[in-house]
Amino acid sequence: MNPASYACGSPAHAVSRRAFLGSALGAAGVLGAGGFASAAANARLAGAGKRVLVVFLHGGASQLETWDPKPGTDTGGPFRAIPTSVPGTYVGELLPETAKRMHRLALVRGVNTADDDHARGATIMLTGRRPEAGIEYPHLGAVAARLLGSESAELPGHIAIHAGGSGFGKQDAAFLGPRYGSVALGNGKPPPELLRPAGLTEDADRRREDLRKKLNARFARSRRTAATEAYAESYDQAERVFRRAGVFDVGQEGPKAAERYGRHDFGRHLLLARRLLEAGVTYVKVSHTNYDTHHENFDFHIEQLGEFDRPFAALLDDLADRGMLESTLVVVMSEFGRTPRINHLYGRDHWSKAWSVALGGCGIAPGAVVGKTNATGTGVTDREVNAGHLFHTYLRAVGLNPKKNFYPNDRPVAVADPAADAIGEILV
Amino acid sequence: MAIDPVNARPERDFKSARPLTACRFDPTGRFLFAAAEDCSVQRFDLLTGDVAAFTGHRSWVRGIAFIPAPGGGPAGVASFERGRGALAALAGGPARAAPPPPVRPFLVVSTDYHGRLLWWRGDLPDCGPVRAVDAHDGWARAVAVNAAGTVIATCGNDRLVKLWAAADGAPLRTLDGHDCHVYNVAFHLAGTRLASADLKGVVKDWDLGTGRCERDLDAKALHKYDTGFSADIGGARSMAFDARGARLACAGITNVSNAFAGVGNPLVVVLDWKDGKPRQLKPKDAFQGTAWGVAFHPAGFVLAAGGGNGGQAWFWKGDETVGSHTVGLPASARDLALSPSGERFAVAGANGVASVYSLLPGNPRPTGPKK
Amino acid sequence: MPLPLPAVTAWVLCIGFPAPPGPPLHTEIDRLIAAGYPGYDRKAAPIAADDEFLRRVSLDLAGTVPTAAEARAFIADRDPAKRERLIDRLLAGYGYGRRMADHFDVVFMERRPDAKVPRAAWEAYLRESFAGNKSYAVLAREILGADGVDPGARARAKFFLDRKLEPGTVVKDISRVFLGRNIQCAQCHDHPNVEAFKQSEYYGLLAFLNRTFLFPSAEAAGAVIAEKADGEVTFVSVFDPAKKQKGTPPRVRGLDPVADPPAVKGKEYKVAPGPNVRPVPAYSRRARLAEAVTSPKNPAFARTAANRLWALMTGRGLVHPLDMDHPDNPPSHPELLALLADRFAAANYNVKWLLREIALSKTYQRSSEGPADAPEDRYLAAAVKPLSPEQFAYAMLQATGFADAERRALGAAASDAALAAKLAPHVGPFRARFGSRGGEPEDGFTATLDQTLFVKHGGAVRGLCTPRPGNTADRVAKLTDPAAAADELFLSVLTRYPTAGERADVAEFLKASGPPPAAAAEAVWALVAAAEFRFNH
Repeated sequence: MNPASYACGSPAHAVSRRAFLGSALGAAGVLGAGGFASAAANARLAGAGKRVLVVFLHGGASQLETWDPKPGTDTGGPFRAIPTSVPGTYVGELLPETAKRMHRLALVRGVNTADDDHARGATIMLTGRRPEAGIEYPHLGAVAARLLGSESAELPGHIAIHAGGSGFGKQDAAFLGPRYGSVALGNGKPPPELLRPAGLTEDADRRREDLRKKLNARFARSRRTAATEAYAESYDQAERVFRRAGVFDVGQEGPKAAERYGRHDFGRHLLLARRLLEAGVTYVKVSHTNYDTHHENFDFHIEQLGEFDRPFAALLDDLADRGMLESTLVVVMSEFGRTPRINHLYGRDHWSKAWSVALGGCGIAPGAVVGKTNATGTGVTDREVNAGHLFHTYLRAVGLNPKKNFYPNDRPVAVADPAADAIGEILV
Repeated sequence: MAIDPVNARPERDFKSARPLTACRFDPTGRFLFAAAEDCSVQRFDLLTGDVAAFTGHRSWVRGIAFIPAPGGGPAGVASFERGRGALAALAGGPARAAPPPPVRPFLVVSTDYHGRLLWWRGDLPDCGPVRAVDAHDGWARAVAVNAAGTVIATCGNDRLVKLWAAADGAPLRTLDGHDCHVYNVAFHLAGTRLASADLKGVVKDWDLGTGRCERDLDAKALHKYDTGFSADIGGARSMAFDARGARLACAGITNVSNAFAGVGNPLVVVLDWKDGKPRQLKPKDAFQGTAWGVAFHPAGFVLAAGGGNGGQAWFWKGDETVGSHTVGLPASARDLALSPSGERFAVAGANGVASVYSLLPGNPRPTGPKK
Repeated sequence: MPLPLPAVTAWVLCIGFPAPPGPPLHTEIDRLIAAGYPGYDRKAAPIAADDEFLRRVSLDLAGTVPTAAEARAFIADRDPAKRERLIDRLLAGYGYGRRMADHFDVVFMERRPDAKVPRAAWEAYLRESFAGNKSYAVLAREILGADGVDPGARARAKFFLDRKLEPGTVVKDISRVFLGRNIQCAQCHDHPNVEAFKQSEYYGLLAFLNRTFLFPSAEAAGAVIAEKADGEVTFVSVFDPAKKQKGTPPRVRGLDPVADPPAVKGKEYKVAPGPNVRPVPAYSRRARLAEAVTSPKNPAFARTAANRLWALMTGRGLVHPLDMDHPDNPPSHPELLALLADRFAAANYNVKWLLREIALSKTYQRSSEGPADAPEDRYLAAAVKPLSPEQFAYAMLQATGFADAERRALGAAASDAALAAKLAPHVGPFRARFGSRGGEPEDGFTATLDQTLFVKHGGAVRGLCTPRPGNTADRVAKLTDPAAAADELFLSVLTRYPTAGERADVAEFLKASGPPPAAAAEAVWALVAAAEFRFNH
């Protein structure tokens, strides 16, 4: 039998300079492309065990009804501002439970992302970059999975929980490669193929897997490349994910947890997110829909924030109780905020010029507030920041260096927008 | 008096700095009260044109009602309106030589979105509220007073309907049964029953003696769960019994295809009080928006007003289910008030203007802009 | 199956012209490859066995694997010319046109979403072009010269239309696809790393198209390409502090610029622009593009085409990557690439001829079991190539016997086109799952979770494995002799006979797995899920 034509560590190992990123790492752990390897190695030391949770309030939550209330002004609307566990910091009255946990959160009130379009706003907030011709940037989840995730992770490193369909969002990993694309859990359910199909018993599965492995073993004796290895190994990876499939079953958390988080979709999704983070998933994004209240903004924010407030507070409590808050970055964001001006439909429209983001957990200074808007919220008066600054901040918070580069196609691409910097005031 | 919807024409405008959220005529018909987004309640004097502001609320007001003077029957009601001098003043006739008649003391109650119920001396705007009660947890959406003037009913986002003694604000009873925000309340004529309507279009008929809900009536056409936005839209934005207590009208929005853009149509659901059967009253022409105010006119027609992009008032005569007359309004109307005599009505404009419209046959002046 | 043809007749019928004098190209290929590595003859892998060769060439030329019956027949055939006859059969078969259409669809369109030209028309255009052995230069000229106006020929304009004629993208892709040079960076400045990629090259190409626009608008689904009679190209380097403006006429690198003829005032247009009027200039820069790119004076065209066809067969371009042809990235075998390009051009860019020559070479026919430390670019052994998403789909449809069952169900009506129509709808999920992101060149291999789950648990693959009259699981289940069952299984799926050990494994598996139909289905699955199936080796 001829020996394999492929040797670990040989140049032949770097099979593809483009799309094979990550897949080979499972096999032999060496990837030749420049700064990738060193960025990854450094990052893995610093980022050991860190996780990120993003709560995405879809549609543009009103900063005036949440983090930056202006009661008693023409733009303030009918709600009160309530004191929080941080003296001097007030939030909207629709967040009573969150208010009691403000000492775990920091607020950035001077966000100006200058784009009122839903899709672009979301991309800007999730990639930390303004749209550019000719390049797509990876979402925060792909970056986190790539730089914080462990190669031996059993579960996907980038998971998104939303109301839509389940599937695999390869696009959002951009040049980092589809391995870091989001696995979307539609309404909290894993993609159907994660589970063993009906009609295939465990025994039958094991038997056929044995046969497949025997064939692969023979094949590998004479024709082994990084690609064939990665392919064979990917079945083992799928098997490991499948064996952890129970982690997607939020019902296993029990009725008390279900009660605390609320028996509605968002509550279940946030509880599932906690479960996934506990199981070692690097990044989970939970979307809460919807906040795009051009009509009757106040009624609808009562309903939506009513759903958000309790489970979010429960989540913060749980992370703290489990000692996970020090290693988990929590971010609450939208694609933009809402207009200070109340329109004739009792609504607020899209507004990216002066709005807020809340952060907490790993690397974030508890209770810190940075940035100010004017009395009516129509402009930022102090410490204006954009999505690039926020992106730097997320990375620094979890111990990563945002000034390093990725090297797609051997071209250096900064991990975060070089024109921005981290918001030091809210970093520990 | 030949009151006819087709006569409807603008009579007078009262401008306010901020968009309006509610409006009501006082029992004499002399004053139009209108609440604005600056949390003030404005009192417009139809006789003199004066404006007085009642300040004390710190959130938006949508509920305004009146406590008739003790022992006062219909005597003072509409007395102002019937005066010929008043008509002349309204018609812009020659200035009166005599000073305006004094305002008899009267009480106003109003509810706000901080859940508070305030009493005012309607004749003394500078006094501030004479009493304040924390009535509800969250928004107090509406207030009503019984015919005898002894009991006040409020309702709100805490899913409760509460009864208060008009005289001293003492809590009388809590009516618990709705499972979502309660949007409106109205006393039945006799004062022994109370109707309340919630977000999901459930109308409860309460026996005020026992405090029990005797039945649920169906105005669910006014509710929709918008699955695209995962939110409920609904509620009776306005509610009124007819003079005999035979019918109950609820106004709101229906056919909602996009709750967050307000794509839907105004609807008035008229419930037969005896058998509970609902009938739907719709405007003649397609209009995108919400019906925010409704009233039964003693002359035998139903009128409603509302808005979305722009505003309209609609009229249904007799048994019509499709409105035979529509009046275009300069702005979205967020409330409708019918004067005690029925000779005029007012709308609270999103443009901050309270517009009074006459229903009397009069100068052949062109009616307001029609849609 | 068509009757075997005498080799020369087949050659002439396929290729369309008599063989040129001198040593055949495939011999030259072997000579030059051997010359490219000291001790090549000692170290190179032996020629692949028949079963290896059969599978490989079927995938490369027909985009699918052979039936079990074809495999048995080929392996048993004693005719020394059987490989050559196989090559000719495949080149003449329906699968060739489809395979080439699939491959070049991705080369030309990079899996961009369909916008203004429906998929079916485009695929038919490519398939007919390759099946009819259209000259590659003619194909390129049709694509680069298309304007989308004639509804019967609209599909050709997909290259431009479905890029919305976005100038940066179009210029980059013309250069990448037809000239082997990815000059994307040169839009803004001379390439920082690649000396040879200059801004002037980028803008020279752009100048052919700078007067061109979509009519009536870029958004209109039925938009066609229109052109004005004026407009110049200027450019500034973002790295130039003086911001000096430069200009260029239309120009392909290495060729003379294509100057505009002097304009005759008042006669700039054949059809003057007007509201709702598609202007037609008297002189069209755009019309000069196709002939400039494919000009015999532009060696890059033949060189790039030859390189791509070489890579299609062998798995790696002589210039690698395929779009990095510049002096600092020389080909692994310069003389060979030059020879391929020259002969290809001399043969009027005859695609079937070139592929046939490559397929006949020993280089192509070597086993993929090679020495452990063999450098990738020396061709000491055949490369192990991942199947493209389309190859994977069609191979799966054939290996599981879905194609057999459909052929059987069609009965007398089983023409190639009819069968193809039955198979085509099943390819979509494979494309979606295994294809690259739209707008990205397909390059490299991925084995992501979703792709693996597609095979492991997904309904599409499971459905194909399930027994059905005439399919593989059905045939295997009906064979009571375990050795015969193992043979049928391996020949159907892996195009070879099982080893003794494998026969024993299969027998044991079938026995342990319960009722034959289900057991056979799982056995089929185990083979299609194996690495040996996923790759072309």
